[in-house]
Amino acid sequence: MTFLRRLASRLVQTAAVVLVVTFVTYWMLSLLPSDPCFLSVGTGATEELLAECRERLELDRGLFAQYGAWLGNMVTGDLGESYRNGIQVTESLADKLPVTAWLILYTTVLSVIVSIPLGMLSAVRRDSWVDRLITGGAFSLLALPSFVLGVVLALVFAAKLGWFDLGGYVGPTEGLLAHWKSLVLPVVTLTAGIMPFFLRLLRSDVITTLQEDYVEAARAKGLPRRWILLRHVLRPSSFTVVTVAGLNAAQLVNGALVVEIIYDLDGMGTYLISAVFNQDFLVVQTLVALIAAGFVAINMLVDAMYPLLDPRVRVRNQ
Amino acid sequence: MPGRRSLAALRGQGPVETGGSRLRLAEQPLGFWLAAVWLAALTFFVLLAPVLGFVADPEAYSRNVLQGVGWSHWFGTDELGRDMFARVVWGGRLSLMIAAISVAVGILIGGLMGLLAGFFGGWVDTLLSAVINILLSLPALILALFIVTVLEQNTRNVTIAVTILAARAVARIVRAQTLRFRQREFVTAARCMGARTSRLIFREVLPNLLPIIVAFTFLGLGLVIVGEGGLSFIGKSVPAPAITWGGILAVAKGKLSAAPHLTIYPAIVMFCTLMAVNYIGDTLMRRFDVRQSLI
Repeated sequence: MTFLRRLASRLVQTAAVVLVVTFVTYWMLSLLPSDPCFLSVGTGATEELLAECRERLELDRGLFAQYGAWLGNMVTGDLGESYRNGIQVTESLADKLPVTAWLILYTTVLSVIVSIPLGMLSAVRRDSWVDRLITGGAFSLLALPSFVLGVVLALVFAAKLGWFDLGGYVGPTEGLLAHWKSLVLPVVTLTAGIMPFFLRLLRSDVITTLQEDYVEAARAKGLPRRWILLRHVLRPSSFTVVTVAGLNAAQLVNGALVVEIIYDLDGMGTYLISAVFNQDFLVVQTLVALIAAGFVAINMLVDAMYPLLDPRVRVRNQ
Repeated sequence: MPGRRSLAALRGQGPVETGGSRLRLAEQPLGFWLAAVWLAALTFFVLLAPVLGFVADPEAYSRNVLQGVGWSHWFGTDELGRDMFARVVWGGRLSLMIAAISVAVGILIGGLMGLLAGFFGGWVDTLLSAVINILLSLPALILALFIVTVLEQNTRNVTIAVTILAARAVARIVRAQTLRFRQREFVTAARCMGARTSRLIFREVLPNLLPIIVAFTFLGLGLVIVGEGGLSFIGKSVPAPAITWGGILAVAKGKLSAAPHLTIYPAIVMFCTLMAVNYIGDTLMRRFDVRQSLI
């Protein structure tokens, strides 16, 4: 019951934040001296055509009415169309969303796969040279923003060694191997940016767990070391991993923006940037709203799910 | 084990612990000194760039086009024969100036928001936290991109955009820390002695937050250098001819295979700088016992 109430209150808060964010962005974009009808009608614009367009887009209505109409459309799944070329946003999203989604999915999976063994190792061998090497390496990765690492990787592995080409995205239906090959460098770039957070958290988590009495008890019982690490130590830490994985997945949209440009991938990031440069503000508004909603929703979900996943937190809260 | 040590201190068996907020410089590891030396050297070049003859003009053309690294051109030259070392120094001048201003202003605004929200609680907290949450509802680069899009694209507005990135991070940290301190005995004691609210906030709580704020200054520099760099890279930071590190890398990207030195050396400088501020910030944060997951 408490869980449901908590969830409900978080839900209301989240909805409020999304509403305010979308309204503020809508309002700010509407202040810009840009007439969507000029974009829409193009160079052959006459007064008549412009007036007709303004009528159609209902630009003469007040800000609240316009925002309300936009929001209503969004909620019912009508994301509008680009003023620039008339293409439906939903149609473009169908092409571009999978690219970014694959990027985020692979990056999250790879980060988890890499950080679990490394984090465990560096926690178990705490303060040894292995630990220093791992934490030091992870720490250096934090000083490599995606636009630096991405460019360097592209230089070394694509331009010099020729192992990969910067030819853009290949869909999974066009051959799984080619699909993976097209995403290796972008995923590695993004992973380098978030894996250190996973690793750090996991390390300090495992160090705490190793000092628990039940680990001591398991050791005293003579259970094999591997078994203890897997069942008694890693298991409680898996919640931490789920949490950071969730939070970072949303954060990855950030990195996608840069990585998609470097590797010429036609995803959400390039879509947003080209909309910004084309002054295609309806598309900008819609994408920003979607990203904000997704970001806030994931944060909320992770936060609300936490007690459900980890019985210890549930007990403590009661 | 701070708990154990303070217990010993209470029994008069050891020095009284000061809460771990003192940083003993002599005890710092080598990395700390390397980071400090790097930042000092960087500051030297960046501040004195206009008077140091060999880096004074980043736009000076020469016939030595696309030269590699050598004595006369430390980082080589670009396709117009401009000295890359000079360009990196001048790029750093603008990048670091934007970073310094935005961190300072961000700490001022964000710190005040966090302090008031954490200290007063109630509707003040609800209101300020709502603002903070709204600012936090977009990934950093997308927020910065949006702000620069809505405002005009110039140096001032790029600074505003990254200032908001710094402010929202500070606000969250300071609020959490204020919550921790406002219930401590010394605050209650001061309140009972009739101290005014402003005194409680600025003389009792704030001094305890200073170590964290100092630590954040360094981490925040990293945050905004990356933020500005990202903006530059997607072409939405300060417009040309102004140079920033992100801008240098964005231009160099087009000549990656022909002239890798245009990418490598600026990237190394940026890496070392971020490493230095992260390292110092992280050392301080850990020293002051702040949760690690804040960056």
